[in-house]
Amino acid sequence: MANTEASLKEAMTSIEGTLGVALVDYTSGMALGTLGGGKEFNLEVAAAGNTDVVRAKLRTMEHLGIKDEIEDILITLGAQYHLIRLLKTRGSNGLFLYLVLDSGRANLAMARHQLRKIEAELEV
Amino acid sequence: MSPAATAPSGIPGHPALSPMLQRLAAERATGALMRDRGTLYLAEGQVVHAESPATPGIDILLTTGGTLRSEGWWDAVAQAGAGQRVGRYLVDSGRVPGGALELCHLGALYDAAFFALAPTHTPARFRYGVSHWIGPVRPVPVDAVQRETLRRRELLDRIWPDALTDSAPLVRAAHPLDAPVPPRQRRVLDLVDGARTATDIARELGRSAFHILVDLRRLAAAGMVATVRPAAAGPASAPGRIELPEVTADPDVALLRRLRDALEAL
Repeated sequence: MANTEASLKEAMTSIEGTLGVALVDYTSGMALGTLGGGKEFNLEVAAAGNTDVVRAKLRTMEHLGIKDEIEDILITLGAQYHLIRLLKTRGSNGLFLYLVLDSGRANLAMARHQLRKIEAELEV
Repeated sequence: MSPAATAPSGIPGHPALSPMLQRLAAERATGALMRDRGTLYLAEGQVVHAESPATPGIDILLTTGGTLRSEGWWDAVAQAGAGQRVGRYLVDSGRVPGGALELCHLGALYDAAFFALAPTHTPARFRYGVSHWIGPVRPVPVDAVQRETLRRRELLDRIWPDALTDSAPLVRAAHPLDAPVPPRQRRVLDLVDGARTATDIARELGRSAFHILVDLRRLAAAGMVATVRPAAAGPASAPGRIELPEVTADPDVALLRRLRDALEAL
């Protein structure tokens, strides 16, 4: 029954090494909620840009004829992990959670597990 | 609020979409801003709701998506409509999870605001003190709404720079390319029948109108749909006529210019 702000807060506090989190609509590229980030990391720009990542992957799967769904997408940088988790929504809106992690502090397996839990609580 | 709220300067680098909206935000006004293509509801200078004839309302988004049955919606309106707390009632009575209502409401708000803030020559009116029966859900700063609206306009033009796709009836291309269409776009394409417009398709699918505009412009860019041009509407559909691709009949000057600019920039 969590609202979006509470869910983002939970992601921020319960997932070790989280630098920022955003809930994004991937058709419009709009961030419906963001937390963290800051001057040097504009989460809204990241949200809009990462919709292209999701779309490209979905299109590629379509071309390959893969009938499956993306659970999450992991991008590893030198100092950060970027984790994209597609939400299974009851409505027809495509949403994803976007998580920026400090790779020195984060535990990836744990982060994925927590994100799954937050997704279940968000109930969208 | 930052000091900028008392001295509105708009969004740096962009002209204000509506100077009137900017002023109302600065004076923390409450009421309804009625523009040509939609209405924005403000409470203490923040946007609390928006409606436009071009977009499906929050009721359609909630009920078509399966989040809520339509009896549940009408019951909530009957119970809490007069008290202007329909949103709160839906959550408190356990009909809609809080997160789902927020996201749906934000979706509807930005969707309608995009159309309400479209360029127009008709002067806007503001009625002080008016509030919407949906009640408080999640207020959004005016700047955020204007920024998002501009971003959306640019996004559409990047995909396919022909705004006619947004409002005209659409037809499927006579000889579409044999490319796979993602399921979401496929459902949109299935409803393109020569009569429906983007707004009609959005209503039918219960999806936000802007989503449909994005999908339709992508389909147009891929050569799968085209607008029914008023002059071509009659004879073009007559049997036996050889259909030429639209581009040769009516060159898209803006697109050609863009292409030239891009080639020159190489």
